[in-house]
Amino acid sequence: MEIVKVSDLTKEYPDGTKAIQGISFSVEEGEFFGFLGPNGAGKSTTIKILTTLLHKTSGSVAVGGHDIVADSKVVRKMIGVQSQDIVVDEDLTGRENLILQGHLQQVYGKALEDRVNELLRIVGLEEVAEKRAAYYSGGMKKRLDLASSLVHNPKVLFLDEPTTGLDPQSRASIWSYLQKLNKEGGITIFLTTQYMEEADKLCHKLSIIDHGQIVAQGTPAQLKQEIGADAISLTLENSDSTYNGGREMAKKALGKLKGISSIIDSDNGLTVYAKNGGYMIPDIVRALDEANIRPSSLSLSTPTLDDVFLKHTGRHIRPEELRKDASAGRMLGRRRR
Amino acid sequence: MRNPILLFFSLFQPIIFLVLFTQLFGRFAQVPGFPAESYLLFATPGIVLQNSFASAFQSGIAMVDDLKSGYLEKMLVTQVSRPAIFLGRIATDIVRTIIQSLIILVLAFMMGASPVTGVPGLLLMLLTISLFGVAWSGISISLGLKTKNAETVFGIGGFLTFPLLFMSTALTPANFMPDWMQTVSQLNPISYTVDALRVVMLTGFDLGTIFTAFAVVGSIGVLTLGAAVYQFRKIIG
Repeated sequence: MEIVKVSDLTKEYPDGTKAIQGISFSVEEGEFFGFLGPNGAGKSTTIKILTTLLHKTSGSVAVGGHDIVADSKVVRKMIGVQSQDIVVDEDLTGRENLILQGHLQQVYGKALEDRVNELLRIVGLEEVAEKRAAYYSGGMKKRLDLASSLVHNPKVLFLDEPTTGLDPQSRASIWSYLQKLNKEGGITIFLTTQYMEEADKLCHKLSIIDHGQIVAQGTPAQLKQEIGADAISLTLENSDSTYNGGREMAKKALGKLKGISSIIDSDNGLTVYAKNGGYMIPDIVRALDEANIRPSSLSLSTPTLDDVFLKHTGRHIRPEELRKDASAGRMLGRRRR
Repeated sequence: MRNPILLFFSLFQPIIFLVLFTQLFGRFAQVPGFPAESYLLFATPGIVLQNSFASAFQSGIAMVDDLKSGYLEKMLVTQVSRPAIFLGRIATDIVRTIIQSLIILVLAFMMGASPVTGVPGLLLMLLTISLFGVAWSGISISLGLKTKNAETVFGIGGFLTFPLLFMSTALTPANFMPDWMQTVSQLNPISYTVDALRVVMLTGFDLGTIFTAFAVVGSIGVLTLGAAVYQFRKIIG
């Protein structure tokens, strides 16, 4: 059964920004479904519309067969939502946070007590349940927030970038809780992420979204298979020839080689796809050398979801934080000089 | 009530006002033409109202907090009805204002100011003060939702408090003011509200004054809450 069905959804903000430009997709009951895309692709806008927080401009959305506008109350009963921010009341203990959320969700008495105990166990916060949330680490707060979105036994859980800003260890633990919820609890999960590893590891089905449009859809395996070849990334930024001229020359040189299935511009060079990538490397280097081009780096990898994104958009998915770190590092380097 | 420091200080300010103002302006009562036996009796309604005014600006700041922290969204996706979320905010502030007002009035009573109308008068005063609080909460909530900025709400609140308070009959009788200020104070809704509190405190249930105050506060309330609801719906749309 299709538990989430979206057809021709669009969203235009009052300032004229077209955040969502006609997307359609559906999520099956029990599925772990992902929206992968860079920052500003329209992921949060979509999730806000699906969770009744934002009005759509046009198109239709149904959750569990109920229209999100006409039957918003029924829809809210069926869904759990985890926003990008961590929202817990730091003055309350972990347990009190869950009880308060239970009351907001109209769960009371013994049913609530049992549910709270169960959730504390699921997210591994039993031992700190009586401590105030102010003393929790970031990962613990995130888990508490996650538990609070589940207090009313929702059928579908919406997660907006659940691990953005978390350290790798917390990220891994959130992943395993989510997988457990999906597998053992049978809960349908809709997740947005800018991390391809996250989408690859967790999601049964994916939509890759960019500039408010879905550019590719399928299982992670299908999407990667579509590439059908290994990826050889070349960085040309620091080559002797000028950058753009260098890129064109490199393309021309490589285009003559047999065995290359496609060549795509990437941010600072080229990505070359070939069936048998490792075997092709000497040929590629020789061809570039003949054209007097020295790539500053060259790497070989089996296709990732990033290659899928690159193939459809000509850009890499770059998580916001990583980009910040990189620029901070560069600035430090400059200062040292 | 896990934040005792905040609770203490939000109560501390009106108490300081009560003590300091009654000391500072105590001799006003000896001037011929002063409308009350003591300045304390005269000013208590004004100080209670000032507290309620300041308290009302907390509503908007709290709303910005909920908006920014994501707590508002977290509530909006629950089964709680949307009017309840809005009314809950206001109800919290009314309860706080009533408790604070009661503490100020009890303190004033211990200092020697008791309403001539007794307990029914006290209840009427509390009702008037809460309605006044709701009406002004509407302004701060609208500002909060519109600007999404706590500093702006705080700044506008601070900017409005003193001119509105001093250019009203809250702390000074009208006949002590220069002519132009008397005119301003006649247009100032705070004057109408404080006059109603004052008759209950000093003379008795003067229905005309009380009714006027309710009409003025009621009209303000309809306008400001209307604006707040409009902004709220815009945000949740």
